[in-house]
Amino acid sequence: MSALGHYLEEEGIASVAIALIRPQAEHTRPPRALWVPFELGRPIGPPSDPVFQRQVILSALGMLVEGGGPVRIVDFPDDDPREAFDPNWQAPLNPHPNPPPQAGEGEFGVPAAATPSPASGGGSGWGFGSELAEAVEAELGAMAPAYAASCVARERSTVGLSGLPPAECGAYVAAWLRGERPASPVVDMSPGLALRFAIDDLKAFALEAALIPGTQPSSKQLGDWLWNETVLGAGLKLLRRTILAGDDDRLKAAAAFFVPALRVPPGG
Amino acid sequence: MRLEKLPAEMAKRLSDLECPDFKTTPWVEGPPLKDRRVAIVSSAGLVVRGDKVFRGRDADYRAIPSTTSANDLLCSHISINFDRNGFQEDWNVVFPLDRLNELAAEGTIGSVAATHYSFMGATDPVQMVDGAREVAAKLKADHVDAVLLTSV
Repeated sequence: MSALGHYLEEEGIASVAIALIRPQAEHTRPPRALWVPFELGRPIGPPSDPVFQRQVILSALGMLVEGGGPVRIVDFPDDDPREAFDPNWQAPLNPHPNPPPQAGEGEFGVPAAATPSPASGGGSGWGFGSELAEAVEAELGAMAPAYAASCVARERSTVGLSGLPPAECGAYVAAWLRGERPASPVVDMSPGLALRFAIDDLKAFALEAALIPGTQPSSKQLGDWLWNETVLGAGLKLLRRTILAGDDDRLKAAAAFFVPALRVPPGG
Repeated sequence: MRLEKLPAEMAKRLSDLECPDFKTTPWVEGPPLKDRRVAIVSSAGLVVRGDKVFRGRDADYRAIPSTTSANDLLCSHISINFDRNGFQEDWNVVFPLDRLNELAAEGTIGSVAATHYSFMGATDPVQMVDGAREVAAKLKADHVDAVLLTSV
């Protein structure tokens, strides 16, 4: 980001970067950067807080007329209040009667060590998860009303990278969980790329379903729910682990983007 | 980001990420904010719904007209190791167009650009130079003289 500021300034346009990682700004030495202490992904700070966001933006834009450069890095003083836990937030319905297992225990009673791999499974793949696939699709269906209500409240959705409706994303991911090797449902995407974007869309679908109007959950609350309590989270971790244990390098490249690093169970 | 909040290994990787070693330090001054025309340039992999999503470490960029609605802006950044909940709840967390429009309406800034731009931040910045120069030319054609850069 700071490099873009350098390039734009070389072309005669004044710029100020909002930097989340201070050492990177220090190394790149942009004309101007406002370092903010917020979590990655939130350069302007808390969502739904126009007053706080305005402070951040004015702090940054103010640097355009303050002089003191080139190479001026200023620290924004305040932390993001939305990092706090919201006790009023409740997860949307999880319809599965049995909670998904904890990391490392295997999914739905199947010990992790017994999970078939593409290499050992033979035939069409690693057919291990018909029950899981069914549960994922059922859970997505149960989340649909909450997702729809959330879209109405926010007047938007960020689902759409794959170009498929959420139900088709769910069906495609479920097919992989059943051990099939389905063709890509997207004309100009490989199966692996379509799988990556379909999973991105399902994560967005679930997390947007969890944005309950009137509550202010932290990202940690939402992430803990998605990755520790939902069948979708359990399924994505299992799919990642299984594909990475296989020998299809293109699929493995896609699977690396299924689960955030901080949510990968010990041992993968 | 307070790096001490991250696992040490991840913090070190982010802190030690290789960055360009520029030999020059360009610096452009300009008029007061009330006379500036401001654009957003983001490295969040933003894309208007229906436009070509970023698929990997692409070096090109996408245009985002000021008329874009919040429902039509997607984040296709390849990294999954940053929060997306904030953007999902409120696009201003990454793309503060509403805030800029408010600042322009009250006269704190002069105006808001007709078009904004996004790159893919996971790309080697050295590969972005051609795209950045194209964007600069387009911004100048739009009379933009101030850019707010947002990363994720």
